[in-house]
Amino acid sequence: MSSQQPSAGAAELSRLLLRAADGDAAAFQIFYDRTSAKLFGVILRILPERQEAEDVLQEVFVTVWRKAATFDPARASPITWAATIARNRAIDRLRARPARPMAPVEDALGLADDGPAPDAGLVASQEARRLAQALAQLEPRHAAAIRACYFEGVTYDELAAREQVPVGTLKSWVRRGLMRMRGHLEGGEA
Amino acid sequence: MSAASTPDSGLTGLTEDEALAMDYALGALGRAERKAAELRLVGDPEFRARVERWQQQLAPLDEGTAPVAPPASLWAAIAAETISVAPRAAAAPAPAPARGWWHNLALWRGLGIGAPVAAAIAGAMISAPPGAPDLAPAVAEGPTLRATLAGSDGKPLLAAAYDPASGQVRFAPVAQSDAGAGKVPELWVIEGSNPPRSLGVIDISAGSAHSIPKGRLAGLKEGSILAISIEPIGGSPTGAPTGPVIATGALAAG
Repeated sequence: MSSQQPSAGAAELSRLLLRAADGDAAAFQIFYDRTSAKLFGVILRILPERQEAEDVLQEVFVTVWRKAATFDPARASPITWAATIARNRAIDRLRARPARPMAPVEDALGLADDGPAPDAGLVASQEARRLAQALAQLEPRHAAAIRACYFEGVTYDELAAREQVPVGTLKSWVRRGLMRMRGHLEGGEA
Repeated sequence: MSAASTPDSGLTGLTEDEALAMDYALGALGRAERKAAELRLVGDPEFRARVERWQQQLAPLDEGTAPVAPPASLWAAIAAETISVAPRAAAAPAPAPARGWWHNLALWRGLGIGAPVAAAIAGAMISAPPGAPDLAPAVAEGPTLRATLAGSDGKPLLAAAYDPASGQVRFAPVAQSDAGAGKVPELWVIEGSNPPRSLGVIDISAGSAHSIPKGRLAGLKEGSILAISIEPIGGSPTGAPTGPVIATGALAAG
């Protein structure tokens, strides 16, 4: 196993968050400068409408400021902590809508075409490479279902309808896939 | 349809709880199930640990998401809602009692200042946590400090750069602003819980530089708030802002 040294960037972001928790406005602004584009990207994949995504990003940083004191560097990296808040807020907004517009027809069955790891070339960290490798071991359609849920915030029901498979089938793809992924990440065979 | 709502995870070796933690971390639950899972998160540390483990394992996926720069105006909106309230104060059940004229929102509103800016200013004054070391030594050297001063609508009005070596603040207007006949802009610095201190009447036309008297340099440091108010010619007669505050911004190293 690799030693999980926090990167210099993570250590710096942790310090900024701890300072923000003490009411340090400048530290909070630097944290915003370093992370806002990342979080905005995460939100936009779930909520492609820009104004809505901006509203959510604003809510997210207000939450980051208020909850900075609850951040624990031993439990999560600062960017994971903040990105989790961003995803949760974006998904909450998505779920609050009365009804989702149907995905365009050409998106149906798109999962099969989603390659094993279209983003593998862009990722930098060792964790991201290992995760991409673990997902590459799965049935492409299963890995693509995991990605669709994670990146777009779609529910099992919505994705099953889009893919024209029973919900139970889709759930077992995703859950089996995630268990195997974890098996790879943790060094065992799944 | 298959019995999709059965509580059984459908996979051997996967408990119901583990399946729920996984589904929640992945973001695949519908609204009601999601809310139910969030209730469990609050009161069930074991369940929370399961969710956090999945969140951590999935998080590296975010590295594949391209960053997108948000519009510059967004920071001003966030600043108005955040640095106006210290995190601990926000967590406290009751608001801190007002301690002076600068805490009086009605007064700021009466002066024609938008609530967010008023809140930002008032809050900037109370944001220093109790027990924090007070005034830092006067800044004699160090990096240039910059601030973007924005109006209550979040629109940047001017950029300020403070050079500790020369003791000068240089301004670059971003938008047209006019103090009006018989009025002048006055610059203030607000540090921690202190009331605003005047840095003098300023000229904010293009590229103008404003020298700050040596005795007033203390407080010009990272995190302090610069504010500009509109005052009678000659500056505020009282030593505190008397006219509307047209722009505020926090100093940051740059």
